[in-house]
Amino acid sequence: MPRFLHTADWQIGRQYNRFAEEDASILADARFTVIERLAALATEQAVDAVLVAGDVFDAQTVSDRTIHRTFQAMAGFTGPWLLLPGNHDAALAESIWTRAQRLGAVPDNVDLLLTPEVRVYQNLGFVVLPAPLTQRQTYNDLTEWFDRADTPEGLVRIGLAHGSVEGQLAEEIDSTNPIAADRAATARLDYLALGDWHGYKTIDARTRYSGTPEQERFKDNGAGQALIVDIEQPGAEPQVQPHTTGQFQWIKHQSTLAVASDIERLMSELDALPPRSVVDLTLDGEVDLAGYQSLLQYFSAAEARHRSFQTHLSGLNLVPTEDDIAALHADGYVGEVIGELRERQEGQGDDPDTARTALAILTGMLRDTSPVAENEQPESAQ
Amino acid sequence: MKLTRLHLEQLKQFRQPLEIRDLTDGINLFVGPNESGKSTLVRAIRAAFFERYKSSSVDDLQPWGDTSATPEIELEFDWQGEHWTLNKRFLGKKRCDLKVGRQHFSGEEAEEKLAEMLGYQFPKRGGSKAEHWGIPGLLWVEQGAVQDIQGPVNHAGEHLQSALGQSLGEVASSGGDELIARVEKERAELLTGTGKETKKYKKVLEDYRHSQERLDALNQSVEQYRQQVDQLGVLIEQKQSIDAARPWEEQRRKADTAKSQLSEVQRWQSEQRQDQQALDNCRQSQAVYRQQLKDFENQQHQLTQRAEDKAKAEAQLQECRDRRPQLERRRADAEQAYEQARNRREQARHQAEQARHQAERARLQQQIDQLAERQSQQTDTLKQATELQEALKALQSQQPSKDIDQTALAQLKRTEQALAELVIRQKALATRLNYELEPEQSITVGAETVTGQGETLLVEATELRIPGVGRLHIQPGGTDVADLQRQQEALQAEQSSLLRRLDVASLEEGEQRAAESQRLAQAIERDQARLDILAPKGVDALRSAAEQDDARLEALREQLGKLPEVQGDVTSEENAEADLEAARAELKRAEDALNQHQQQQGLAEQASTNANAEWDKLNAELQAPDRKAREEQANKKLTELKAREHQLTAAIDARQRQIDAAQPELLEQDIERFTASAQAMETQARERAQSIRDLQVRLEEQGAQGLEEKRDEEAQINQRLAQRRDELTRRAQALDLLLNLLKDKRQALTRQLQAPLQRHLNHYLKLLFPQAHLSVDENLMPTTLTRPQGTGEEQGDLPSLSYGAREQMGLISRLAYADLLREAGKPTLIILDDALVHSDAQRLDQMKRILYDAARRHQVLLFSCHPENWRDLGATPRDLQTLRLGGRA
Repeated sequence: MPRFLHTADWQIGRQYNRFAEEDASILADARFTVIERLAALATEQAVDAVLVAGDVFDAQTVSDRTIHRTFQAMAGFTGPWLLLPGNHDAALAESIWTRAQRLGAVPDNVDLLLTPEVRVYQNLGFVVLPAPLTQRQTYNDLTEWFDRADTPEGLVRIGLAHGSVEGQLAEEIDSTNPIAADRAATARLDYLALGDWHGYKTIDARTRYSGTPEQERFKDNGAGQALIVDIEQPGAEPQVQPHTTGQFQWIKHQSTLAVASDIERLMSELDALPPRSVVDLTLDGEVDLAGYQSLLQYFSAAEARHRSFQTHLSGLNLVPTEDDIAALHADGYVGEVIGELRERQEGQGDDPDTARTALAILTGMLRDTSPVAENEQPESAQ
Repeated sequence: MKLTRLHLEQLKQFRQPLEIRDLTDGINLFVGPNESGKSTLVRAIRAAFFERYKSSSVDDLQPWGDTSATPEIELEFDWQGEHWTLNKRFLGKKRCDLKVGRQHFSGEEAEEKLAEMLGYQFPKRGGSKAEHWGIPGLLWVEQGAVQDIQGPVNHAGEHLQSALGQSLGEVASSGGDELIARVEKERAELLTGTGKETKKYKKVLEDYRHSQERLDALNQSVEQYRQQVDQLGVLIEQKQSIDAARPWEEQRRKADTAKSQLSEVQRWQSEQRQDQQALDNCRQSQAVYRQQLKDFENQQHQLTQRAEDKAKAEAQLQECRDRRPQLERRRADAEQAYEQARNRREQARHQAEQARHQAERARLQQQIDQLAERQSQQTDTLKQATELQEALKALQSQQPSKDIDQTALAQLKRTEQALAELVIRQKALATRLNYELEPEQSITVGAETVTGQGETLLVEATELRIPGVGRLHIQPGGTDVADLQRQQEALQAEQSSLLRRLDVASLEEGEQRAAESQRLAQAIERDQARLDILAPKGVDALRSAAEQDDARLEALREQLGKLPEVQGDVTSEENAEADLEAARAELKRAEDALNQHQQQQGLAEQASTNANAEWDKLNAELQAPDRKAREEQANKKLTELKAREHQLTAAIDARQRQIDAAQPELLEQDIERFTASAQAMETQARERAQSIRDLQVRLEEQGAQGLEEKRDEEAQINQRLAQRRDELTRRAQALDLLLNLLKDKRQALTRQLQAPLQRHLNHYLKLLFPQAHLSVDENLMPTTLTRPQGTGEEQGDLPSLSYGAREQMGLISRLAYADLLREAGKPTLIILDDALVHSDAQRLDQMKRILYDAARRHQVLLFSCHPENWRDLGATPRDLQTLRLGGRA
């Protein structure tokens, strides 16, 4: 009665360009720490083996240190780790795997499935049919040989592959590295552990994507989990239990502001987000100076609460009201300039963004000089 | 602003204090001649405001030669409901005091307060100049400078703008200029005045660019690395799929197979060459045998030919022989003809001799007759020649026997010589017959019988008769022998004829007789001559002559007696000689023909003999016993060789087909190709292995650098720099936009100020030029004067107007500015020093109206040295000279 931990797409070595330096390095670090949590989970669940269905590494050439760190992070589980090369870490003539082996970084309990051949784990009661990528991408179904592979009777038959199940995934996933949707059936597999799709996805009772154990995209598709798979005996339907492993949730939020109350609604929505998330907020519509001010205030607090809090306000127009202008003492031709910028930020021509920025700068300056100016940041439009 | 009191001390020509009180609103007119102090007064007011009290550049203010003086000015004026008192002392005891109501300012503070109020500035050092004067520079006009409006407006520009800006009240922004200054400052952080990036901004751009370069380089390295990995993969795959099977060995095997095939073919080719050689030999041998057989055949043919030749030679010989009798006959005929001719000639010769005898007889008879006659005549003279007669008689008795025909004698001599020569020739040519006969034996040679031994010359065909033996017919071989014989005969006949004629036995006798005759003749002649001398009448001579004649007559008669008396025809000797010659020629031809024939016959005989011999020889050869055997042998050999040739040809053809089928050129190419392929494959495999090793080493090195991780890090940096750059760019653009907008709006506002200025200008202008218009630019500068002219308009820029008109426009403009400033709540004081001196009376009148009108709103201080011009200005003139004398105005 073998029990597995099914995971994939660790993408070790991934860097995050879009974030501030500090955030980026913490998020990159999280990709190592999740391995430790996976090891802990494997030990806790007493699994017979950990199946990693490809893309362990994000790139072929990462530093020696990264390689060592990766394998060292697995120390928490002493059972067998079965690592399959994916499209990011394909088993090329010279690959991260050959380097890791040269470096002596691969512990004994880690099996690198670099060739498509049957691996028999007699004592553990299962065999593994791996479909490693030996090119960055291929248009052949590398799991085809599973159908013809003979394995000893009485052993659970596990397939391990990395790619896109045909006709199942959204088009944005590469159509390269195809995998037949009925491979588990045609190859008489008890379970087909898949990688490449970063979310958790069930293709059929015996075929699943585990998703990445630590989220790294703004997609709400069940990423950040690992699967505990129990197979009673050969031929029995596997029992699959997802476990959360991710440290950070990646949340993409979009909102349109029209009236003053929209700001309050937005704030309460943001308040509801789990803390220490990676948040990406896009706003459009329009807001008056007061509202804009309170938004900026809220954002700076949110930045402290979350791992990363990014805002995209280029669609949000600043619309100072008469009261705003009066409060800023923007009389005479300065008032006219504000009016002109307001128009321009909504216009098609002379770069609305520049006008919007100019308006923010101007209102900021005016607030500074106005006798009742509140002590706020004037220039943080972006 | 209203100036109420002016007090000067120790200032230029005013060494004594000068005080002017009770200045009024409106026009205050100061008059006085030149040097009366008008300009000093103006200078004092300017110095009070413009010059720093601490300035050391104002020593012109001191009275002439008094360097210790302290020029002092005190001014009092009302402004905004307060009374202002300014006291300023220069150089000696420097001081500045300003009292405003109850407030008191001193020093620079006081000065700055005044500058701000009036709108001017102080120089940083040195004396104050036009560019510092600001608004007062526009309103306080120095002597002769009214027309110059451009400079003062420019210098006043800033002050005007700020002064008028405040005046706009509602439309102006309260913090606008301050805001512009701040935006400019913020913008200056990023952009220079000309819109270029500042150092700080540029550094961000540079940083980004460098990062981008690094990123590009890293991307390229990653891409290279990937390509090398791919290449390695391909090479390893090739090594496993191609080189592992050692395909070159297969190529080498193929090359070896082709080589052995080729060597087999080469062996065939060698055999082929040998056979070809044998075939050539065989064919040559055949040719030899064929030639031999052909030669045999030719000999037979030759024999026939030779038989024919032999027959022909014999026929020719026979023909030759057959012709002989004919020729001999011809010769005989010729001989006969000759003999006849000779006879006829002998006969002719005989006849000629007889003729000569007859002639001789006739001559002798004649001599006899003559002598006889002469004898009768000479009888008279005979006695006279008796003595000589005796001598002569002796001589003359001898003479007749000695007399001889000299001509005949000469001919005889010639004939004898010819004969002698002929004999010599005859002896040379004659057949020489030597004989030595047995004793008592004789033979007959010709007609002669000879015995014993001797020699005889045979000059003609001679029969040799040998008794008991027979006859030998000897024909001398020389051609001329017979001829010679005949000549000899002819000559002998002539000789004997001559001898008979001369009556001598021989030539010698003749010659002796001739010599004696000559001698006797000479003696007789001598004696006769002496006789003639002795007997001139010739008696003796005549007797001698008679006797001589008698003797001679006797001799002649005897001589005549000796001569036969012949009678008969005389045949021509010459004709006979010619006939003989012809006959001899014919005979010679006949003999020649015979000789030629003899020769031909000899040749024919020789030819015939030769032909016979040739035939015999060939025939003998043909009849040789081994000849048949040799011919048969040759035929047999030839047959054998033909068979051999056929055999060889067949073998060669067959082998050639074999060789051609094997295609040795292609085999050679195959060897070359397979060998080259094998080498190429091996080389490729070696190179591939080397490339794999090289690539692995290189990739191991590069892999250890963590290229992609570095690349991603750089991408992160790059992304942040890009953000920073974008922020700055956006901010720079925004600030630029903001500044432009603010300035534009402010500019628009300035343009709004033009309207009131225009209004004020037009207010004054219509007094001077009805319907005229003076335009103002954005800097509030009067520019163009437009006046109606006929049906159209005349336009003129200010500088292009006449001096007088410019002066008028200058004043009008200043007054308009003053109006504008007044409306903006600014202090206005107008000071005019000797203005409008170039205006004609009419214009001056109008200008006075204008001034008077302006003075209703502004205080005007007018200084002039022409009091008569200003009498109708409605102001009381103050005479400066009077003032100086302490009078009070």
